[in-house]
Amino acid sequence: MSRIIDTGLRDLSAILYRMGGLAHHAVLKATIECIEGKEAHEEIREMADMLVAMADHVEDKAFELIARFQPVASDLRTIKSYMKIAYDFARFGRYALDISSINKQVGGLKGCEEWINSYVKEMSEKTLEMVKLSIESLKSHNIQIAEKISEKEKEVDRMYFEFLDELIKCGTTIKCAVSSVLIVRYLERIADHVTYICESIIYIATGQKKILR
Amino acid sequence: MVVKFDVQNLNAWFGSKHVLKNINMKIEENAVTAIIGPSGCGKTTFIRCLNRMHEITPGARVSGKVIFNGVNIYDNGVDPVMVRRKIGMIFQKPNPFPMMSIYDNVAIGLKLNGVRDKKILDAAVRRSLELVNLWDEVKDDLKKSGASLSGGQQQRLCIARALVVEPEVLLMDEPCSALDPIATAKIEALIRELARNYTIIIVTHNMQQAARVSDYTAFLYFGELVEYGPTEQIFENPKHELTEKYLTGKFG
Amino acid sequence: MDYYRFRVVKDRLAQFLVYLALFLALVPLFSILYEVVMRGFSAINIEFFIKPTPTVGEVGGGIANAIQGTLITIGLASLIGVPVGLMSGIFLSEYGESKLSTVIRFLQDVLSGIPSIVIGVFTYTLITRSIGFSVIAAAFALAVIMIPIVTRTTEEALKLVPMSVREAAIALGIPRWKTTITVVLSSAKKAIVTGILLSIARIAGESAPVLVSMGFWRWWFAGLNRPVANLALNVFIFAMSPFENWVTLAWGSALVLILLVLGISIVARVLTRGRY
Repeated sequence: MSRIIDTGLRDLSAILYRMGGLAHHAVLKATIECIEGKEAHEEIREMADMLVAMADHVEDKAFELIARFQPVASDLRTIKSYMKIAYDFARFGRYALDISSINKQVGGLKGCEEWINSYVKEMSEKTLEMVKLSIESLKSHNIQIAEKISEKEKEVDRMYFEFLDELIKCGTTIKCAVSSVLIVRYLERIADHVTYICESIIYIATGQKKILR
Repeated sequence: MVVKFDVQNLNAWFGSKHVLKNINMKIEENAVTAIIGPSGCGKTTFIRCLNRMHEITPGARVSGKVIFNGVNIYDNGVDPVMVRRKIGMIFQKPNPFPMMSIYDNVAIGLKLNGVRDKKILDAAVRRSLELVNLWDEVKDDLKKSGASLSGGQQQRLCIARALVVEPEVLLMDEPCSALDPIATAKIEALIRELARNYTIIIVTHNMQQAARVSDYTAFLYFGELVEYGPTEQIFENPKHELTEKYLTGKFG
Repeated sequence: MDYYRFRVVKDRLAQFLVYLALFLALVPLFSILYEVVMRGFSAINIEFFIKPTPTVGEVGGGIANAIQGTLITIGLASLIGVPVGLMSGIFLSEYGESKLSTVIRFLQDVLSGIPSIVIGVFTYTLITRSIGFSVIAAAFALAVIMIPIVTRTTEEALKLVPMSVREAAIALGIPRWKTTITVVLSSAKKAIVTGILLSIARIAGESAPVLVSMGFWRWWFAGLNRPVANLALNVFIFAMSPFENWVTLAWGSALVLILLVLGISIVARVLTRGRY
């Protein structure tokens, strides 16, 4: 049965999916930029700004739905969670911009050791995979996928600390050290935020506030 | 929870129609409990079982226990009239006694119980009308007919009338459904005020009203108690799928 | 356009017929009133209201004793008829969901349809035969006529009181019988009183049952087991007499009777103009 509020909820989730796609694209571009040395800062800035604007829009729309329809139960949880998820996607844009800034200001990973580059590449692939999975889980409110992501997040964490150990052991130029540590740090934060997104999805579906980290 | 009503295996019939099926519920004292559910699911029948009004309908039957202040009100020795004095009722359509003034409407509960002293009656009428925030509006003209008030005022008059016999409980059957939004808001505020000293059970088909006004909510679906719990929990995270469907309007 | 004009003509014709019918219906009423007032007016003087019925051959005289007698008779009849009718009406309305009440209602309807002369004869057999021609007998007959009327009007009046009023009273913890007496009855007060007044007006005009159960009386009140004078009966007896002054008195009595009934109806109307 179709309800008045359904149109509003559909609009909201449509914006959210676009945000997800955009956020994924931004992070991807930023990491490629660093690894392969391509210039893309302006483009990424645009995407980050757009994500912030979209997050504001989601918040406004959510409040409009609350004021007009007084939603309860799963509708209420959905709207609350969508606001949080929109904020998380906007954060991805911010992190992408930060990664791109490293490329611009410090020079990225140009000329750094192979092992550093491949670590960063692997971490970014894993992180991007997590982002993609989270968008999928959001589309279907599928909590199994959401729970699987927590395993991946632990992997990313593990890689993060491994990298730091390696770096301390092997050492490298200061530029490479600073760039790589910052990039890896941002990737780890993105992975954390993906788990927040999944926690929100579980909350929508079950009403439980499960902690996945 | 201090339990005011302990409802055990309550069943009710209209003739052969089984209207309430095995209701088990503990209602808290000095709190507002809302009963929600689709039309015809037994909400009104349920509260009428709490003050033994259900049985005055010909063909009506009740089984089970309703324990109130430690006594099962359906026990053989219990006088229904005494039960109703402790448990007041407000109806859907305001029904002040016609042909009676505002004063008489409020005082009649006491007069018919033998109170004759004018001073006592005056004080009781004033106290009741103050409790429902009607005193200032009508104090200059208590001899006016009860029917000359607006809908919202009439309903508050009925509440004052019920309060004058000093009940412990107020049962309200969709008290605002015949009123405009402003009158409704006044009555809802009144309900929260009264809840400090009275146990209030309100039947409503307006979910938002239940959400605004109550501490506990019970969801009745075709005679069965589907879910019962604190209002915040029911409206944010209902445990039963049926409750979820009803609250979000997903019923066919 | 033609069809429209045809409709207008039909409408006018129908209006005319309706007014004509109204006129025809009112003619008897007004002609009666006219006759009675014209002829009865000449009988009205102080003597009329003070003196009792004149004997044969006596000049003048009045209907004072008839007025006294009528008041006593209908007063006594009301004393019996009103409480019984009222309580039956209350029973049928408030407690009347059973088979018994269906039977009672049916019997009341039958009773109200019995011709008053038959009731008179019944009273004669039951009471007059044992006690003799008396006020008691007449009062009894009139009460029997009165009861179904009061019962029905009381029941209807009480039925008009909405169920919500009763429920509100019961929910206050007032016992059933008290709610009936205080709340329900007072809500229906006006309609019930009107019903009672109209039944009194009805029996004030009954002559046949009075004749059969009590007979004609020319003197003042002489005891409950004796007859008493009666206005309606006087009209009957005097109108057919050969004495001039008796005929005049008959017209006067008729006028007084009509005024009495009219007065009661007006009072009933005024009472119902109130809030309910």
